[in-house]
Amino acid sequence: MSTGQTHPKPVHQHMRRNPPIAGEAEAIARAQAGDPRSFEMLYSLHKRRVYSLCLRMLGNVAEAEDLTQEAFLQLYRKIGTFRGDSAFSTWLHRLSVNVVLMHLRKKGLPQVSLEETLEPSQDDGPRKDIGARDLTLSGSIDRVTLERAVENLPPGYRLVFILHDVEGYEHNEIADMLACSIGNSKSQLHKARMKLRELLRTGERKESAV
Amino acid sequence: MIEKHANLQNGKTMTCAEFQDKLPELFESGHELSNEQHLKTCETCAALVRDLEYIAQQAKLLLPLHDPSPAVWENIQSAIHNDGDHPAGKSNDTPIK
Repeated sequence: MSTGQTHPKPVHQHMRRNPPIAGEAEAIARAQAGDPRSFEMLYSLHKRRVYSLCLRMLGNVAEAEDLTQEAFLQLYRKIGTFRGDSAFSTWLHRLSVNVVLMHLRKKGLPQVSLEETLEPSQDDGPRKDIGARDLTLSGSIDRVTLERAVENLPPGYRLVFILHDVEGYEHNEIADMLACSIGNSKSQLHKARMKLRELLRTGERKESAV
Repeated sequence: MIEKHANLQNGKTMTCAEFQDKLPELFESGHELSNEQHLKTCETCAALVRDLEYIAQQAKLLLPLHDPSPAVWENIQSAIHNDGDHPAGKSNDTPIK
């Protein structure tokens, strides 16, 4: 039996979304020395990605803007500690992720505890009985539908999915950002995709029932 | 129903549950999934793999979102100005514009 008529590229072969940026290294060095224009350049280069992360994690423009502001203020205060051991965008993303997680914890969402959220759970694990063969996604999921489904993922799943599948970070980078194991990152990503599949199929069934 | 889909792989019987347990690692290992023997005989798992690959492909459409409003940068400038000296130790009174 064939696995299907189309064979998308294997999921691990996606392009990295943070290629080296011309002039960034010089801007970092100058910003570390206190040059405001260089810091502004770094803001311009990275504001969209940081804001996107915040917005996807919070689903609220005002909060996302507040946290973007906070992330860049932390960047301003900490940029002197950047040593270039990882890509600057990865380092900044790690900082931003921490800002987001701290905010979510303050809001009192218990599932946002990384220790809990990233801990593999049997309850949330992939279901072994996938169901009938007609429950395959139609292949017509658009951006809006997928955005909506991502919004409905639990925060821990959502974060790993965004970092890996949307932003193109590798598991070792995500593990570093989230202070978890690489295996944990892989496990969370798989669960996130499984949960998304469930959400998207549910959405399709609701649509077809209307 | 899982055991109904049991089949042979490398001389061993593989169930859907066993295949799905392996799936996260298979995805991330660079393994060519279409070569998996289990998928050639199990439409359920083949559909699952197709969907997960499809979701990962579609995720790439989610970037980029739009920029934050100009007020964010204005607030950052203001906060930096109120902070005083740059952490690097060099005072710089030039406003960031």
